Amino acid sequence: MIARALLFVWIAAALAAGFVWAPLVPVLGATTRVFYFHFPAAMVTCLALGWSMLHSALYLRRRDLVHDDHAAASAELGLLFCIAATVSGSMWAKAMWGAYWNWDPRETSIFFLMLIYAAYLALRASLEDPARRARLAAIYSCVAFVAVPFLVFVVPRIYFSLHPDPLLNARGKPDMDWRIMACAGALVLGFSALFFWMLSLRVRLGRSERRRELERAAGLT
Amino acid sequence: MPTEPSSSVAAIWAILRKECRSEWRTRYGISAALLFAITTLTTVSFAVGRMPDRTDVLAALFWIVLLFASLASLSHSFVREVEGHTMTLLRQVASPTAIALGKLLWNLVFLAAIELVTVPLFLILMGAPPPRWAAFLALLALGSLALAASSTLVGALIAQSRGRGALFAAVSLPLLLPVLAGAVSGTRAQWAGGAVAAPAQLLASYALAILAVSLVLYDHLWEE
Amino acid sequence: MSGAALTLAPPRTVAVEARSLAHRFGARVALEPQQFRLDGGIVAVTGPNGSGKSTLLRIVAGLLRPSAGECVVSVAGRALPPLARRIHAGLMSPMLSFYEELTVGENLEFAAEARGLAAPRRAAAAALERVGLGARAADRAGALSSGLLQRLRLAFATLGSPALLLLDEPGSHLDEEGRGALETWIRSVARDALVMLATNDEREWRLADRTIQLRGRDLGDPA
Repeated sequence: MIARALLFVWIAAALAAGFVWAPLVPVLGATTRVFYFHFPAAMVTCLALGWSMLHSALYLRRRDLVHDDHAAASAELGLLFCIAATVSGSMWAKAMWGAYWNWDPRETSIFFLMLIYAAYLALRASLEDPARRARLAAIYSCVAFVAVPFLVFVVPRIYFSLHPDPLLNARGKPDMDWRIMACAGALVLGFSALFFWMLSLRVRLGRSERRRELERAAGLT
Repeated sequence: MPTEPSSSVAAIWAILRKECRSEWRTRYGISAALLFAITTLTTVSFAVGRMPDRTDVLAALFWIVLLFASLASLSHSFVREVEGHTMTLLRQVASPTAIALGKLLWNLVFLAAIELVTVPLFLILMGAPPPRWAAFLALLALGSLALAASSTLVGALIAQSRGRGALFAAVSLPLLLPVLAGAVSGTRAQWAGGAVAAPAQLLASYALAILAVSLVLYDHLWEE
Repeated sequence: MSGAALTLAPPRTVAVEARSLAHRFGARVALEPQQFRLDGGIVAVTGPNGSGKSTLLRIVAGLLRPSAGECVVSVAGRALPPLARRIHAGLMSPMLSFYEELTVGENLEFAAEARGLAAPRRAAAAALERVGLGARAADRAGALSSGLLQRLRLAFATLGSPALLLLDEPGSHLDEEGRGALETWIRSVARDALVMLATNDEREWRLADRTIQLRGRDLGDPA
């Protein structure tokens, strides 16, 4: 109870700080503020994908359906955050460069991640038996894991970049004002906590559903 | 894995020959695939006409035609096994790795057969400038290997589900995008006189990565 | 290494052990927990429909991964992982289908070759002769009647003279002549192999030295 309230206060405070206290990035102007939503969403997208793939591998090794619950739930939540990141990024692109979509490296990467999520969930939806679904989805997840570095790092470099790289990644160090980074960092933490909280709810739900099904099947005799 | 290597080679070879023989007897797989490829090619050529100067567009169209052809046909080998209920027989005579490699080799042969017809037809119909053959064929071979490796794995997954064609395409797409990117940029470069080393390396490393990870995972694919 | 020849298990050294072995498909129980150890001879597995006879045989064959417990198959004392069991096991099951567009002979030759048997053509021909299908070797597998198909399944199970035989309802669809051949063959191989017979047919289970009885759960079938 308290933890949940604190979490929301944290996120609200970080957002407020970002809007009011932190300065604007000169080149980006007023659009800087989208960053506070877009960046954490994108980070959680990656976190969720990593979490899902990790649990897929763990399922194949240990065959405990809890890992499958984690993999599936984090994939569903990850897709939500991915859509949020893509849409916010696209609105930002429109405001900054006049076009909703440009296939610049970052946009391309987030789109590819969305495709992986969608494919994984579509595969799951086509399988009924829980053990088979867990196993085949986990296999796909592990193969997709190999594709991710290619999709996120190699492929986008093939296309021309429009993303404001010099501000975020010049010489590998963020060039932005420390206050902006502080707020963004706080929001990344907040969004991640939000993700884990929603994940725990979904996993618990999945587990109790399974238990109920077992009891129902046992109750038939 | 706990099988004697010599019997694995025997199994792979036996499966490849069995696929060839089955296909030869029925012939509906290859003819449907060829028809599909030629239809796609004809549509493109009709709509766009000859474009000897737009090699960037040509490169993209070339690989789109090949991609469509493989999405339409490469899932069939596993789907046929499942629908014919022959998976029990297959799993009882060969290890999962041998099955996977046998089917992969078959998919490569199948793709090569389609390309034998489609590639010259494409070059002629679209009025493409003569390619740098060594680079062009190397890219074609590497791209085909990556296409086949991915399609074999996804085909094996899909065959056990309720979904078929559309699901196969949707699930394959994320895995095939790096192939498309590398193949298209490489094919474009070889027509524009640029360097193909980077795209070729991308294709080769990606194909190997997919192959390596899927070979480890095939042991878990069939457990029922 | 002489070509594709495999070392098969020496006679009477195959053992199958089940430790709290059970299986469920989703929430449905397919096999109740089993505990047994088998060393050789003929073992009948009986039980009402749905009690898990086929499930048990598939688990022993290494085709199905059980959801609980363990099934250990050992050859000469060494435990075999599930993926390695097919080399030593001959499976005959109603779920076994063949490639309909290939001939009977081609199907068996493919099986013999893929299993790594030395002289696969001869092994396939011998197996066909053994079940009385020699004359039908050039017929398409899709054209066989259910009785002849069952004989083909038997031929498949005998390829390579495996030390572990898993026969799921082997007598179904067979005529008297087929049954006679089946019985003779089972008795002859039982001297050197372990035979597990899943059946509800009295003619088959009386061949057995030992019986494992599976209990179904509330299926409405008379036990």
